[in-house]
Amino acid sequence: MNLYRREMRAHLKSLLIWIAGIIAMLAAGMGKFTGMEESGAAMNELMADMPKALQAIMGIGELDIGTPIGYYGVLFLYLLLMAAIHASMLGAAIISKEERDKTAEFLLVKPLSRGRLLLCKLLAALTQVLIFNLVMLTGSILVIGSYTEGESSAGAILSLMAGMLLVQLIFLTVGMAIAGAGRHPKRAVAYSAAVMLLTFLLSMAIKISGHIDYMGVFTPFYYVDAAAVIDQGIGAGYALLSLGITAVALVVLFAGYNRRDMR
Amino acid sequence: MPIIELNHLTKSYGGARGIHDLTFQVEEGEIFGFIGPNGAGKSTTIRTMLGLIYPTSGSAKIFGKDCVQHGPEIKRHIGYLPSEVFYYDNMRVKDLLQYSASFYKKDCRKRMIELAEVLELDMSKRIDDLSLGNKKKVGIVQGLLHEPKLIILDEPTSGLDPLMQQRFFSLLEEENRKGAAILFSSHILSEVQRLCDRVAIIKEGRLIALEKMSDLKDRTYKKFKLQAKNELPEGMFAIEGVTEWNSKNGEASFLYQGDINIVMRRIAELDLLNLWVEEPDLEEIFMHYYAKEA
Repeated sequence: MNLYRREMRAHLKSLLIWIAGIIAMLAAGMGKFTGMEESGAAMNELMADMPKALQAIMGIGELDIGTPIGYYGVLFLYLLLMAAIHASMLGAAIISKEERDKTAEFLLVKPLSRGRLLLCKLLAALTQVLIFNLVMLTGSILVIGSYTEGESSAGAILSLMAGMLLVQLIFLTVGMAIAGAGRHPKRAVAYSAAVMLLTFLLSMAIKISGHIDYMGVFTPFYYVDAAAVIDQGIGAGYALLSLGITAVALVVLFAGYNRRDMR
Repeated sequence: MPIIELNHLTKSYGGARGIHDLTFQVEEGEIFGFIGPNGAGKSTTIRTMLGLIYPTSGSAKIFGKDCVQHGPEIKRHIGYLPSEVFYYDNMRVKDLLQYSASFYKKDCRKRMIELAEVLELDMSKRIDDLSLGNKKKVGIVQGLLHEPKLIILDEPTSGLDPLMQQRFFSLLEEENRKGAAILFSSHILSEVQRLCDRVAIIKEGRLIALEKMSDLKDRTYKKFKLQAKNELPEGMFAIEGVTEWNSKNGEASFLYQGDINIVMRRIAELDLLNLWVEEPDLEEIFMHYYAKEA
C-alpha cells in the first residue's frame, strides 16, 4: 500500500489541476446557457437549420438546447472528451513513467512482484478516475440545479456520469496496457492519446455521415451518446462491451508486463 | 549452498550485445569481483539476476531459488546499487529512503541514519538538488539500509570522491564481516583488487576467466615508461618478463611481469629524466594477457 500512497501523492497536483479544469468548464459552459435560455425556441430553430455536419461537430443532435439538461447534453461531449484525455494519459503515464524516469530499477528491485506493482498502480489510477468522475457529478448537479426549478435532472446526470465512468475505464486500462505491454514505454503516452483521439474522430465521422452507425462499436464515445443516454439511459449492450474491453485491456496489461524486459 | 548460481545463463538481444553461456557461483560470505570493459554484459547479467529482464536460456539462482520464479522473496535480502542512480526527483532524500525502507518488513530507521552519517549525506535535501556523488550516496544508503544478505553493486564508485570511496569500502567490509556476500561489478581492476576474494572477467558477454584475486595479482604485470638522458644501451632490458618493448630517442616503454626488484636494479643504472610505472588497465590485460591464452 506504500506504492498506492506514493502514486496518489505523485499525481495529486495534476489531479487538482484537472479538477480546476472541470469546474471552469462547467461554470463557463453552463454560464452561456443564461443567454440561451431567453431565446430558447429561436435558438433551436436556428440550430435545426444548420448543416448536419456542423450540428454533429457541435454535438447538437436531437437535444433541446432550450432546457438546461438538453444544453448540458451538448456540453457533455466536451466533458467526456476531457475525461477521456485524463484517463488515457493517466493510464499510460502511471506505468511508463518508471521506465521513462529510469526508476524501474529502483522499484522492481524491491520485494514486490510485478503483478502487485500493477495492482497498486491500477488502484491508484482507479481512485483518481473516480474522484474525477465524482467531482464532475457533483459539479454538474449543482450547476444544473441552479438553472432548473422544480423538476430534477439528477437521474439523467447520474446516467451520463455512469457512461463517463465506463469511457474512463476503457481509456485508462487501454492506456495502461499500451504502456505495460508495449515495446516503447517512452512513447506510450503519445500512443495512448492517439488511440483516444482517433476513436473520438471516428465518433464524429459516424455522426456526420449518418450511415456508418455500425462502426459505432469501435468508439467508446459512441456508446454514451448524450441524447440517447438522457432519453433512455446507457444501453446494456454498450455497458457490457465497455466492461469487456476494460477486462481485455487488463489481461493484456498483466500478461504483457509480466513477460516483458524492463528498459 | 552458493549465494549466486549462474547456470549457462544467456540473454541475447539478437545482436552482438547480451551475454552468452555464463556459469559461475558466488559463495557465502564472499566478495566477488565482476569485471569487464564497458558493454561487456555486466549490467545485463545483474539485471537478469534481479529479474528486470528475463534470460533467453539458462538460469540464475540466488539463495538457491530461481530468480524468475521467486523474485519478490529473494529481493527481500538483496541490496542493489545501480550504476546510474535515478530517483523520483521531487522527493526529499529522507522521503525516498523511508519509501525504500517501507518495502521491507523491518525497522530500518536506525541503520538509515547511521549510514547517512558515515557518508555525510544531508537527508533534508531534495534529490533534484544533489550532485552526482551525493545521489550515489543516496543509492548506497538505499541499498544497504535493510541489511541485505547479498549486496549487488554495479560500478559503485563513479562520482564518489576518494575519501567517500574509502568510507564506502569500509562499510562494505563491515557488511561482509557481518556475513553479507557482495557482487562487485567494475571496469577498474584496482578497486576490485582491494576488496575482492575472487574475480570473474567477462568480455563481449562471455566469461573469459574466473580466478582468485591472489593468483591474479601474482600474474599481474606493470607498465613501464622511461626517459633517459642518453641513448639506451642495446639489450639493456633483455630480461625475462619484459614484453612489448618499444624504444626511440632515449625513450622506452615496456610491460614487465616478474620480480620487481630485478627490473628496478636495471633502471637504477640509468641516468633518468623521468619514469612512469603504471597498472595496466583492463583492456590491456585482455589484449596482452588473456589474448595469449585464448
